[in-house]
Amino acid sequence: MAFYEVYSHPALIRYKTSVCTKATLFLVVVLCLTYIPPLLVAYRSQGFWMKRSTYEEQPVVRFQYQTLLVAATNTQGDYVAWSTFPHLNNMLGANLRIPAVSVREEDQNQDGKLDLLNLQLHLPLKPEEQVYSVQLLLTFSYKLFRMSTVVMQSLAYVQHSSSVPGAKLFISGDLKLQQRTPLPHRGVYNVYNVSVIDGSSPFASAYDLDNIIRSYQNRNLTTVLSCPMPVWTVGRAAGSPFQINAEIRYPVEVISYRPGFWETIKFAWIQYVSVLLIFLWVFERIQRFVFQNQVLTAVPIPVGKPHQS
Amino acid sequence: MAVSAAVFCLLFLFNAATTNENTTSYNLNTTLGDQNVTFNFMENDTTPQPTEFESTSPTPSSTSTEPPQPAEPLPASGRLPTTVTTVDSVCPCDLHESVCDINCCCDRVCAEELSLFTSCSVDRVSGSQQLCSGDVASYSLRITIDGYSELQASVGEEPNYDILCIQSQNRVGGLSHPPPALPTDSSFDSLFKEFTSFMFGSEERQVSSAELQDSSGYQYGEVMLTADRGVFLLPAAAITADCVDSSPAGFLKDQSSVCSRRVTLQQHCSSLPPLSMNTYTDIQLLAGKNEDAAVIPVQVCSVVLQSVEGTQTELQISDGEDLPPALLDPSLCANVVLQVAYVMKYSPAGEIVNVSVSLVLGSVSEAELTLEQEFHITFVQEDGGEGAVHSSGNPGYVVGLPLVSGTRTAEGIVGSLDPRDTLSLLLSAEQQDCLRGPQQRAPVLFAVDSVSGCTLRLEDAGNCSLVQQLLLDVLRGPNPPQHVASFRNSLLDSPMDWLPIKNNLNPGEAQSCSIPLSLHLEVQWTQYGSLVNPQAQIVSIKEIIQTNTTSLEVLSAGSSTLSISSSVAFIPVSAAALPGYRATPTIDAKLPFDFFFPFV
Repeated sequence: MAFYEVYSHPALIRYKTSVCTKATLFLVVVLCLTYIPPLLVAYRSQGFWMKRSTYEEQPVVRFQYQTLLVAATNTQGDYVAWSTFPHLNNMLGANLRIPAVSVREEDQNQDGKLDLLNLQLHLPLKPEEQVYSVQLLLTFSYKLFRMSTVVMQSLAYVQHSSSVPGAKLFISGDLKLQQRTPLPHRGVYNVYNVSVIDGSSPFASAYDLDNIIRSYQNRNLTTVLSCPMPVWTVGRAAGSPFQINAEIRYPVEVISYRPGFWETIKFAWIQYVSVLLIFLWVFERIQRFVFQNQVLTAVPIPVGKPHQS
Repeated sequence: MAVSAAVFCLLFLFNAATTNENTTSYNLNTTLGDQNVTFNFMENDTTPQPTEFESTSPTPSSTSTEPPQPAEPLPASGRLPTTVTTVDSVCPCDLHESVCDINCCCDRVCAEELSLFTSCSVDRVSGSQQLCSGDVASYSLRITIDGYSELQASVGEEPNYDILCIQSQNRVGGLSHPPPALPTDSSFDSLFKEFTSFMFGSEERQVSSAELQDSSGYQYGEVMLTADRGVFLLPAAAITADCVDSSPAGFLKDQSSVCSRRVTLQQHCSSLPPLSMNTYTDIQLLAGKNEDAAVIPVQVCSVVLQSVEGTQTELQISDGEDLPPALLDPSLCANVVLQVAYVMKYSPAGEIVNVSVSLVLGSVSEAELTLEQEFHITFVQEDGGEGAVHSSGNPGYVVGLPLVSGTRTAEGIVGSLDPRDTLSLLLSAEQQDCLRGPQQRAPVLFAVDSVSGCTLRLEDAGNCSLVQQLLLDVLRGPNPPQHVASFRNSLLDSPMDWLPIKNNLNPGEAQSCSIPLSLHLEVQWTQYGSLVNPQAQIVSIKEIIQTNTTSLEVLSAGSSTLSISSSVAFIPVSAAALPGYRATPTIDAKLPFDFFFPFV
């Protein structure tokens, strides 16, 4: 006749003691050791408070149709220049050379966000002129919406020079976001929604590339044209214009931000509780051992007659 | 709201049977090519209806337009034509009407030209890829048994083996663009504004702000007018180092610019206006912006003549006298303007009271050169402006401004008001020789470490004691100051605020003469006060002169020159601020400062 376990239930044994006993002291110590060390363990193992996190977003970028072009036309330092700023064009005088520019912005995946800028620039040259170097500055309107709403005006700057006169410069690159400090997790961030180039200024110093780049690079949030491989084509035929072809992509960016209060608490809570579970288990075993074996005196009250209430 | 109403079905194997049901094919001879071009187009529904579209392109917020039934479409826009829906009628490479487009396999007029084809530029036209079975028109070239190649064109259904595909679609317009809003009379402006945020030619030619203000005087940054209704111009460098002559000067904007100008003397010496003095002196400024404002002529304050070698002599000039540039020689042009410095006095009402100009005219002696010109403009107050001392900070030093130095006398400290007459450092010149030529000096700027130097030729170092004294003079400069103010605004009559420059050179013990090899200034400074507005104070300043201990020949290691350096180092001795609690908790258990990071 084989026996088998037909049913089981745990029996609850209560241990009672008065306030001023060793058992009470033990209980206090155990409680402290259970709940405080997990906090210290979680903190000391780094990353308890999440201070920086990242998210992905494709920015809403629009070319602002502001352009500044400087081209050196001989090795002595003569140059021609053009911009979309009337004041600067007036100042340039004889050095002004108006190119033919065509621009197209494409939305390739039809999600309402533009993905690519195609810019073609044909700079007519006089017979004695050759292009040795090109500085091109384009401005963009840059917006992010997912966490904090970022609205800013940004810049792409291309500089290329060669000892051999060129016929064409081809640029294909990404407009990358650069940030020094993380963005806030909410709110409107529009401190940089100011013109990169003050086109209304009649003073020459407003168009000094040094000043423009210096004040731009001072910003926490900038864009930079990452174009590792500009192609400089040599061999321009007489009478043909110098060409600049640019393809600038607006890629998906990984943006770092400072998590908000509840996000920080959430991740800290997860870490705390996962460490706390181990401590709870360990100290539960210790307590059971201590009281079952009467290491510390306490009065056990067995289940006896359970009062169904 | 915008969950697609299409039925998604789990498609496993049973969908494989629904292949090419109605295939039409026609074969023609051509040669075989290999090119994979796939052309997709979204299958459009015939009549777009206003349903709840998940619009990814911005829809206009104006209330007046209801896309399918525009109230009054503008005549030019009209209604949209019906969209092409069947895949076999779409042929994107067919660009010439009734003429065969080469390598365009879907072009219907190509029959005889097919033998010229090498590949199909468009070999696949399909509808939406999300449908479980969509129409696909495919075009390919195939070689027949007798060596010819033929075109196989087929239109049929192609299964999609994706697990999540759309079996049947009852949502109108789900896979097509939302119908665009057709502009009407009332909505045109708002639509135009919405879609044309940036474009060429949007820069408005702004009216200069000077004419918009009411007050008669100028305000900060406004352009100043001249009597002939022009603008007061001050050349400056803009996008290159070249002088831009038509750049205006702003009222109360102190400005100094150095720019260059390419000059061919034969051609430009007497004819180029920016080279001649009266371009800068013959100006009649308007005191204010009004029509009836007083006319202020420019007074010539001083004219300095500079020779080709660089020596300067002041010229006594009577009022109204002009020194035009003169070509003395094919490669020597005299009286060319090199420096222009305007000083403008202004009244509190914003009116210009007095304008004076100082000029440096020089001779240039190269047939073709890039001439460097300097232009300065400073504004001083009408009363008491001349005596204003330019300060290097208040009260602590500001980084990048010159140190304040002086010399102790019996009455106290004597210092110069001229910011250039201060503790200075030798500046490297093109001659590089310590004992020859005029030496340039640059002021020691607070918290900017710098080094420069010159060379000493060994054959000059014969008379040791003489060379020692000469080198010391060169390194220290003329009238070397003995004291440096610990604060920028240290008072001259409180000598305790002034630090003596400690010196390690003892001239008395020089029984064997030694040549100074380097002069090093070591300045210790500290910051104190609040973290937000710290005050910088100089704690000690030491002059360290290194002299040679071995013979110069050994030091120079065989070469005939020896480099003498002059340097300055600023050493911050202040304790750095540390992050921590504002008030340290009294619990002995030490918690790191960011333990309660989001809470405190």
